[in-house]
Amino acid sequence: MYRKQVRRRRAVLALLIVGSFALLTITYRQGNDGMQRGVSTVFSPVVSVADRALKPARDMVNWFDETFDAKGRNERLHSELEVARRQAVGAKAALAENEQLRNLLGLDHSGAIPGGYTPVTGRVITRSPTEWFSDVTIDVGSGDGVEVDNPVVNGDGLVGRVAAVTGGTARVTLIVDHSSAVTAKLVPSGTQGLMKPSVGDPEDLILDFLDSEKLVGKGQSVVTSGWRAIGYESGYPPNLPIGEVVEAPLLEQEAQQQVHIKPYADLRNLDLVQVLTGGSRG
Amino acid sequence: MILTPNILARLVAIVVGGVILQLTFFSQVALFHVSPDLLPALIVVLGLLGGSLTGAVCGFSAGLLLDCLLIVPLGGGSLVLLATGYLAGLFRERFEIHSVLVPPLLCMGLTLFAELGFGAVELMLGLDAPVSGLIVRDMLLKSIFAFFGGWAIYVGVRRALRPALVEEQTLRRNRRPSVLGT
Repeated sequence: MYRKQVRRRRAVLALLIVGSFALLTITYRQGNDGMQRGVSTVFSPVVSVADRALKPARDMVNWFDETFDAKGRNERLHSELEVARRQAVGAKAALAENEQLRNLLGLDHSGAIPGGYTPVTGRVITRSPTEWFSDVTIDVGSGDGVEVDNPVVNGDGLVGRVAAVTGGTARVTLIVDHSSAVTAKLVPSGTQGLMKPSVGDPEDLILDFLDSEKLVGKGQSVVTSGWRAIGYESGYPPNLPIGEVVEAPLLEQEAQQQVHIKPYADLRNLDLVQVLTGGSRG
Repeated sequence: MILTPNILARLVAIVVGGVILQLTFFSQVALFHVSPDLLPALIVVLGLLGGSLTGAVCGFSAGLLLDCLLIVPLGGGSLVLLATGYLAGLFRERFEIHSVLVPPLLCMGLTLFAELGFGAVELMLGLDAPVSGLIVRDMLLKSIFAFFGGWAIYVGVRRALRPALVEEQTLRRNRRPSVLGT
């Protein structure tokens, strides 16, 4: 009896397996439209009703999944936002740097930098914390050919001069530092004077010792004159742009022989600068 | 399993209901980005309760219906699910189920087997696309869902088929209260 049962069971199993393979063989790539269509026709109303009836339950389960997913997505978006923000900041910085470099290149090609000088581009890495002295440190030094007293410019104009140098860095004293003095001239009039800073205000330089016979007007440009004043180690090459006259009161010109100049270079926000190495020392 | 027309009808209802529920509900929900596949677990439970023949026939039928409703080449689902049901039934015939954890664990293991089987059938029929490693994760998650789902399915199907279960009849006879005082 048991053996009969086993035999029957095996026979059914074999039949099912063979049936499965037969179905696979017959319907694979050919299909069995008749049978499937028939079954679908019979079951499609049931399936349709079940589908509609179960929709709220499905929505509820999916709501849980979506909630979990939304939570994860929120965290992911936060991290993506952080990355994007970092990239945006990086891109902005790169754009600003690009602009600065273009300006420097423009300055190179404009003829403002006199012949014989080799510009060495450096980046400001430190800055003095007080307005009492205006020094910055740049990441190029004697190893790059930088020497003391080399003029330093950026894309806008004169920045300062190298005050001290090490192998890989250099300290640049800005033109707004109290120790700085630059022999300068107005263009196109050619009136010459000595430019000194007003400590504490990096936007205000004073061009002193002007010829009181020649009146200076607002908006005139100021460039380095290239001559060395007695007692001042200005030593800048001629025609480096410095700034423009922003204030030129007649009384002040006549009594004190001075006008106020705003430097072209934004000396509070220096990043890339060029050290003009070599050249002849005025 | 004592097969009567009533029980047969219940079996058909369970299989058909299971396939429809799978297609209209479980296949359309996602838990951790994976849709549970509880059909193998249902077949495992039927095999555990009814034996290898019942498991194989139910698996074959469920697979055939699945293939018909999905309009895919017939036979693949049948082959996989009949093997699943047969193995579950064989387990029941060979071993005693001592722990309540056995059915869900078997559901889990045989669901993984079934998923691998479906994969094997697809490979056999020709798979033209590269296979992502994520499918392993999906299969494992489906097995875990089958563990929990299998538990509930086992309880429910056992209750539905109680009149047909031989061991239940024995239990009932043993539980029959004796006449008071004897």
